[in-house]
Amino acid sequence: MTGAARAVGPQAIAKLQAALAAEQAACYGYGVVGAYLSGADAARATSDWVAHELARDSLAATISAAGADPVPAAVAYRLPIQVHSAEQATALAAILEDRVAQAYIGLVGLTDLTLRALGARLLRDAALRATIWSHATAAFPGLSSSLGAPGTTPAISEPG
Amino acid sequence: MAVGPTRRAVLAASAAAVPLLVSACRGVQVLGTPPPVPRDVRLLHSAITAERLMVSRYRAAVAQAGSAGHQTVTALTGILAEHEQHLAQLSATLVVPAGTASRLPAAAATSALLPAGLAAGLLALESAEQDASNTLAGQLLGVPPALAQLMASISASEATHVTVLRSLGRVP
Repeated sequence: MTGAARAVGPQAIAKLQAALAAEQAACYGYGVVGAYLSGADAARATSDWVAHELARDSLAATISAAGADPVPAAVAYRLPIQVHSAEQATALAAILEDRVAQAYIGLVGLTDLTLRALGARLLRDAALRATIWSHATAAFPGLSSSLGAPGTTPAISEPG
Repeated sequence: MAVGPTRRAVLAASAAAVPLLVSACRGVQVLGTPPPVPRDVRLLHSAITAERLMVSRYRAAVAQAGSAGHQTVTALTGILAEHEQHLAQLSATLVVPAGTASRLPAAAATSALLPAGLAAGLLALESAEQDASNTLAGQLLGVPPALAQLMASISASEATHVTVLRSLGRVP
């Protein structure tokens, strides 16, 4: 995704801003994650941190190119869990990836196919990182755990 | 002519993730000429068929892995459960009008789902997961938004299965 100028509607801008905010939070969080890890885990945290920084910058450029102001990053973020150990740091990394995945599902729900494809690719990347950190997989990365409840299922009808 | 919800209305409603009860194509049935299957329905059929096959493969793999280590059996059983959830969710998305038979293709034959031997079976599953993930990633561009989100999520889930299978293949 480049920052080349292109027509993007207000709904798409809102989803891009949400994804940007999630990436900014992930960048902050990975700074904490990396501080508690060493060896291969620290290297992985650094690699993932860079991936989030690149995604953040790309999203900001896309939003700017569409004529909107990218949402600014917060000075600090309240972490979803307290981190005082390597184990807690890896748990935080998995949570950060889950939250990023949830933001990218929003992009996939757009009718703009370029943004939809971008969202799907970045959702997959986040799910892969989450799996590595958590040593677990999920049936529906990025989607609500209430999937399947009434009103949450899309419907496609066969012709009668 | 009395007809039910238009195609546009159906797609708009599905994009809003509102389950629909569609029962208004009977006028067309009376004419005896079934309408062509729309692209999004075809893609959904394809996704359901692929998940059915994946569930069959994993059931065979779990049966084959009975003598393998506990870690392998546990992992395969977990992935099987996720594919069963995929299949259930995709199937719930497909609304078949009352009084009509689904045009979903019949389940494929389940013989020769996996090659013999655990290592070869894991490799075959890894390849199948990668193919399924890539296929869904391409198909999600041709469906309404809510289904695209479901397909993208399943595609991501299948990509993570590749990672797990690869790590199982390295277990001595």
